[in-house]
Parts: sequence; C-alpha cells; structure tokens
Amino acid sequence: MPLNIDPQQILLHLFNLILLFGILYVLLYKPVHDFMDEREEEYKKREKDTQDALDEAEKLKSEYEDKLLKAEKDNADLRAKVSNEAESAREKIIADAHGKADEIVDAARDKAQKEHDRLIARAQTEIAEYVSKAAERVVMEKDTLTDDFDSFFESVESQKGEADE
Amino acid sequence: MDRKKRNRFIIITAAILIVLLVMIIITGRRESEEPIRMVMKDAVLHEHAKINFFGIIDANPALISAYTVTAIIFVFALIVRLFVIPKFKKIPGKFQLVLEQAVGIFDGLATSNSPHRHKFLGAYVFTAGAYIFIGTMFELLGVMAPTTTGGTIALPAPLADINGAISMGVFSYCVILSGGIAGNRIKGVLNTLKDFSLPISMSFRLFGALLSGALVTELVYYYVTTSFIIPVFVAVMFTMLHALIQAYVLTMLTALFYGEVSAQEE
Repeated sequence: MPLNIDPQQILLHLFNLILLFGILYVLLYKPVHDFMDEREEEYKKREKDTQDALDEAEKLKSEYEDKLLKAEKDNADLRAKVSNEAESAREKIIADAHGKADEIVDAARDKAQKEHDRLIARAQTEIAEYVSKAAERVVMEKDTLTDDFDSFFESVESQKGEADE
Repeated sequence: MDRKKRNRFIIITAAILIVLLVMIIITGRRESEEPIRMVMKDAVLHEHAKINFFGIIDANPALISAYTVTAIIFVFALIVRLFVIPKFKKIPGKFQLVLEQAVGIFDGLATSNSPHRHKFLGAYVFTAGAYIFIGTMFELLGVMAPTTTGGTIALPAPLADINGAISMGVFSYCVILSGGIAGNRIKGVLNTLKDFSLPISMSFRLFGALLSGALVTELVYYYVTTSFIIPVFVAVMFTMLHALIQAYVLTMLTALFYGEVSAQEE
C-alpha cells in the first residue's frame, strides 16, 4: 500500500482508540462529570431554596406591612372615635353644667325673691305694728301730738329705708 | 539586576557559547550512517524500523507508542479514579480543578456545537483531545524501543504514523455518523455521507501537522551544528504547539460536524 498504509495496523489503532475511549469514559470522564453535575444540581437547589426563602420573606414583609398599615389606620380611626366621644362627652358635661348652673341660679333667684318677699312682708307687718303702736301712743299722749307725729313719720321712713336695703 | 549579578550572567553565557563553539569545531561535519533523504523517508513511512507487536506482527513504532500511551493513561486514570475522585471536594483543589477544567472544556465544546445531543460527543472529544495531546507529548519522553533489525528507535507520537492518523479520522467520522443516525436516522446518514471526504481530510490534516513537527525536529537533530541546545527549544515548542493545536482542531471539527448532522431540522 502507498505511504505504508496497513489495514491491520489501522484496525489495531482503532481497537486501541475504542479501548482508550472506554477506559477514559468509565474511569475519568463520567465520574468527574457526574460529580460536577451533582454539585451544579446542589448549587441550583441551594439557589432555589434561597430564592424561595427570599420570596417567603418578601411575602411576609409585605403581609406585615399591610398589617402595620391596617393597624395604623385602625389606631387612627379609634383615636378619632375616642376623640369624638370625648368631645361629645365634654360638650354634654358642659351642657349639663350649664343646665345645673342655670338651675342653681334660678333656684337662688327664687330663693332670693322669696326672701325678698318674706322680708317685705315682714317689714310691712312690722310697719303696720309700728304704725299701730304709734297711733296708740298719740292717742294716749295728746299734748305731744305734733312732735310725736313728726317723729313718727321720721321713724317710719327710716324703718322703710332699712327694709329696702 | 545589580552589576555583580549582570557580570556573572554575561560570563556564564559567554562560557557556554564558547564551549558550544569548541564542541562544534571539534566534532566537525558528521558523516551520517544514512543520508537525510532516508532519515526523512523513514520518519514519514516507517518502512525500515519496525517493532515486534506481541509476536503478532512487525508494526510501525507509532503503534507501540499508541498502546504505551493508552497504558499510561489507563494507569493514571485508574489511580485518579481510586484515590483522587472519591476525595473530591465541593471547593476544588488544584489537581481537582485541572481535571474539572479538562472535562468542562470538552463538555462545553460538545454542548456549544451540539446543544441538542452532546453526552456521547463530550466523552468522545474528551478522549480524542486527551489522546492527541498526551500522545504528542509522549514523543518528548524519547522512550527507546528495540527494532526487529536489532537497533533501537525513539518511539514517535502515535499520530505521526499515517495508520494512527487514519484510524483517528475514521473513528471521528464514525462518531459523526452515529450522531447523524441518532439525530435524523436515514437523513442523518445521508448528511454524513455527503461529507465523504471528511475522514480523509481529518486523517491527513492530523498526520501532516504532526509529521511536519517531527520532520523539523529530525532535520535539526540531523545536522550536528544545530544539535546543541536548539533541539531542546525546537522540539518542545513544536511538540507542545502541535499537541494543543491538533487536539483543539480535531475535537472542534468533530463536534461541529456532529452538531450539524444530528440537528433535527424543523
């Protein structure tokens, strides 16, 4: 054969190549490749787990933020409600107080009026008594009638002034 | 570099150059036992230097190299499988990183060129890449073997032999064909057969590339005036370049064609 080509040697080379392929595949390529695949799978799984945990954390964070927002809103509502109630209560208390104050003032007025009327009545009674006594004295003492009459009127006027006060 | 170190460096370099010149003058032009034409022809065709292969046939030295490389890889892989892989850690150490990178590079090559079907392809390109690279680097070891004529010969790279290169090309083509069958059945076979020149081009590309390196090294070694120091750089540089480039080219081409024929057309 030209170029010293020998089919038998080609076949021996082929046999050697196939043998080498088997050796390298079984002893080196497959174990190393499997190890690399396993490690890649493990890292992918870790990455997925981490991503899941991150997603979960993000979800929880979102939930907590919503809850916080809702709590803040509830708090604000409650505060407004309490404030309104307090305002209403304050107004009611003030209104009650005004009512009571009016009642007290009215009662005081009534009482003062009654006292006034009572004093007037008493003064009138006393005046009438004084007048009666004075009339009796005049009648009893005719000679001093004129002086006594003047002093009587002065006395009545002073009594009346006191009663007015 | 201070003055003292610089002077020492100049003196040592000058001494080495003088010694080399003296050796070249003393040895003179070597009267070779065989002319350069014969040396080159034998490097290409391996017609004369044969090695007995387990008493079966008188084979080219590259065949012995191929089985030696396989044996070395087998021992290495077995040690790694038994003692290193069970101790793999999630955060890799240096050696684990090298292994993972090697597997990852070829797996990535297969995945990027044939995203729909790449498990078998990844394993194949890993094997092919490792075989081409380690096989080519094996040449640097200069392992000597006895020839059938009673002499000795340094074992060459397995793929520097046309038979080794053809087997690699044919095997790669078969892998591409299998991808076509798995992906598109009859249509895949036809797509693969359309590129019937592929095994030939792959084989001879591999053979020619590796052989050119071997020939240049052979030339450098042949002439005594260039056989000091220079071969160290030339051999290592050529061998490493070929090892890397050819491993990349063949695996990339295989992955590319595999992806093309196994892709399911819509």
